[in-house]
Amino acid sequence: MSSPEAPQNPMSGGLFGNTPPEAVIMQGIMESCPAKVVISGGAGFGLGLAFGTFMSSVDWGSNTEEFRNLSTREQIRLTLKDMGAKSYSSAKNFAVVGAVFSGTECLIETYRAKNDMWNGISAGCITGGVLAARAGPQAALFGCGGFAAFSAVIDYWLRHHD
Amino acid sequence: MSFGAFGAGAAAQSNLNIAMAEQELVSSAEQHWCMTLLFKFTVYLTQEMVTTLFNNIVDSCHKKCIPPRYTEEDLNKGESVCIDRCVSKYFAVNAKIGEKLSGAAQQGQMVR
Repeated sequence: MSSPEAPQNPMSGGLFGNTPPEAVIMQGIMESCPAKVVISGGAGFGLGLAFGTFMSSVDWGSNTEEFRNLSTREQIRLTLKDMGAKSYSSAKNFAVVGAVFSGTECLIETYRAKNDMWNGISAGCITGGVLAARAGPQAALFGCGGFAAFSAVIDYWLRHHD
Repeated sequence: MSFGAFGAGAAAQSNLNIAMAEQELVSSAEQHWCMTLLFKFTVYLTQEMVTTLFNNIVDSCHKKCIPPRYTEEDLNKGESVCIDRCVSKYFAVNAKIGEKLSGAAQQGQMVR
């Protein structure tokens, strides 16, 4: 059992076959496609909430005369409601994007049985295309290209940095 | 052992019986030893076959499925899927070639 070249006894699970079965099952579940979709969707939702809260501070036409005539309490209430609505819609968008991207990438990787950048690029193209599909084929093409390029940059940075 | 009145003939006969019994005992002990040896040898060969098979699977699936550039220590999804399929295919190929070999051996036997 000292070196990998020494013949390994298959009944002892190879060289380090001493992981408890619960850990193996847990790892299998974490790596399965549905779990990845859920996790990515959840992460996208959280990110969308933060992003929406941040972006709702940009003034989108709420500084009207009648708004300024309301009481402060009323103004605060309306502002918070607007923030909440924008955050929620942004969160839903990001969750959908994350889920679709992650699910597609997982399916492609399962099909190819390889792990390289092309999984992310293809998944990005499909996600961008699907998201922009209702704006016509040219928009779908641009969405595909843009999202694929974005995914390629992120993957490249993740794989080749330090 | 004194046989007294029974005479030298009876003594010789019983000596012969004792000698034959000893020989049978010795030969059955030898047989037992031979069988044990054969059994242990078969067990050893089987263990060695299984170990060789295991190491061959590990080597060939590792070469096929895991690219040489390591970015992380755990198996990712693509590699896990590849290894599952590799092991399954290895056994399938093994079984199929075994069939063909035993078929060829049978044919060879019948021709002879």
